[in-house]
Amino acid sequence: MADEMTAQRWLRVVVGTIALLAIAFYATALVVHEGSAVLVTRFGRPLRADTSAGLHWKLPWPIDRASWLDMRRHVYEGGHTEMLTRDKKNVIVRTFVVWRIVDALTFTQAVGSERDAEGKLDGLLTNAAIATLGGHDLSAIVSTNANDLQVDQIEAELLADTAPVARQSYGVEIEQIRLERIALPEENVTAVFEQMRAERRQYAAKFRAEGEREASRIRSEAELEAAQIRAKGAEEAARIRGESAAQVAKTYADAQRADPEFYKFVRSLESLDKLVNDKTTLILRTDAEPFSMLQSQGEVGR
Amino acid sequence: MRRSGVPSELGRLAAPLARGLDAAWRRMHWWVAVMALLYAVSGITVIGPDEVGVVQRWGRLVGDSPATREHGPGLLFAFPRPVDQVTRVKTKYIRELAIKLAPPEDTTDGGTRLDPLTVGYALSGDQNIVHVKLVARFRVREPAEWVFYGPRSEDIVRTEVSAAIIRSLGEMGVDHVLAEGRKDLIQTVTQRSQAGLDAAHSGLELVALELTGLTPPRALVNDFDAVQSAYIGAETQKKDAEAFAQGIVPKAHASANAEAQAARADAATAQARAEGDVDAFLALEREYRANPAVVRERLYRDAAEKAIASAAMVRWVPPPAPGRGYQGLRVFVEPEATLSPASETTPPPPPQRLPEEGP
Repeated sequence: MADEMTAQRWLRVVVGTIALLAIAFYATALVVHEGSAVLVTRFGRPLRADTSAGLHWKLPWPIDRASWLDMRRHVYEGGHTEMLTRDKKNVIVRTFVVWRIVDALTFTQAVGSERDAEGKLDGLLTNAAIATLGGHDLSAIVSTNANDLQVDQIEAELLADTAPVARQSYGVEIEQIRLERIALPEENVTAVFEQMRAERRQYAAKFRAEGEREASRIRSEAELEAAQIRAKGAEEAARIRGESAAQVAKTYADAQRADPEFYKFVRSLESLDKLVNDKTTLILRTDAEPFSMLQSQGEVGR
Repeated sequence: MRRSGVPSELGRLAAPLARGLDAAWRRMHWWVAVMALLYAVSGITVIGPDEVGVVQRWGRLVGDSPATREHGPGLLFAFPRPVDQVTRVKTKYIRELAIKLAPPEDTTDGGTRLDPLTVGYALSGDQNIVHVKLVARFRVREPAEWVFYGPRSEDIVRTEVSAAIIRSLGEMGVDHVLAEGRKDLIQTVTQRSQAGLDAAHSGLELVALELTGLTPPRALVNDFDAVQSAYIGAETQKKDAEAFAQGIVPKAHASANAEAQAARADAATAQARAEGDVDAFLALEREYRANPAVVRERLYRDAAEKAIASAAMVRWVPPPAPGRGYQGLRVFVEPEATLSPASETTPPPPPQRLPEEGP
């Protein structure tokens, strides 16, 4: 019975102590998580901002009060802004920023919440975009000529225009600012379409003309080559025939040289044979061979 | 009841509470013990096979480098809250986000006016309007950065990829990008997006960008198609011409060869004939040299007979009268049909009978 009483007493002490410690801990401890910060106010007056993660302390309510802030990065996309570039072209531009709170106190005092921050950033972005793009041609953003493009420079200018103000006035750091969209006003689209259409027609005509030109070049080159080949063939044939004729002539000449008189005689007889056919009418003298045989022993001749 | 060290008034006030505690303890002390034990081990966390765990102690991230911060799959021993807090991040899981710089799917009009607020598009380097649709696949690469410092994943991926598209398309010609430049585009957009994601401390890695649509405005599709078909037509014409060339040249070679070959054959034939003739002549000549008169006579007669036999008609005329020649002589050659075979060999009528009767 006495043991039970002792145990009960100890239990009460332990439970009471734990409860008191827990209450004291929750009243004074500040667990600041990574990516967040705590602003401590004493009787409503900002005391300090605990931005490093870890365990921090404060006096219990109602003396000190803590408010948490999200210190992570945020993306804010600005509105579409219509503006004139330096070369007087109407464009619609949209930018986005990556921002985060760096000065919790200034942010709380000057801005308040994230939503309010977006409103403030929007004005800043619009002004910076108008000022920066007004100093560049459209070809600084869209161009096939790499020397015209100045997107890096434009983004650097936008950052230089906005970051210091945001830092000082709102306690916000703008880490990145980029062009997210570049478009044309609705009224200008028709003109751009016409221009594109004309360009397409021009390309189509160019392709067709090139195709025809190239095809006829290939054809005529081939025809020329073929003609040259055939001409060479004909030349070769003519040379062969010529050489052959010379050879044949030489062969006959050799024969003729053996006995010119007899050769002439034989050739004449051959000619006679070739010339006389079934359409030939021969008119012979009765005193010529062989008819003369009937009269007398004639002389052999022609 | 003992009241050691406690003012009796306070003790009297706390008495009901103490009685309640005593009663609760007597009834539920096992439950309390179990609950206390469960609380003590509640910090032990199971990290799944596709996860990484990061630990915060009193809110502060434990570990200095990614290697010491990140805990892989398995049991992770940590103190219970509020001391430690374990965050599990699926680092292998690949998320998808569709990014559209294109008209909404439900518009069906020809799209001759594009409202920049509702219809997305990008401008190419030669200031053409192009619609782009793509799907970004990304995962968490640095869990601590992603959880504690980075912006919302969807926001940053959409904006960085859009900015990269605007910029990359803005330096390419429309024809290049619609044809062989797609790969270039994807590559530069991926590079730029990743650089942006890194600069924003997003802790994200772009695994892949898949281009699901890259088209000219609907109103101009026909014009773009016309260029395409003109291009194909031109290529076809060239191919046809090349085929023609490939046909005609070998044919010319063949005909040139054939001609030369024919000439060679003719030459061979002519030569052979000439040699045959010459051989025959030389043989005859040898005979002639041995017997000139006989050979000559025989040859002459053979030729004369053959000529007379093969001639269609033979007419005989007397030798001219001395001193007169053939003045006034006429020979009639009558049509073959009217001639009898006998008349062919009939000597011609005497010339003096004929002068008056002309044909």
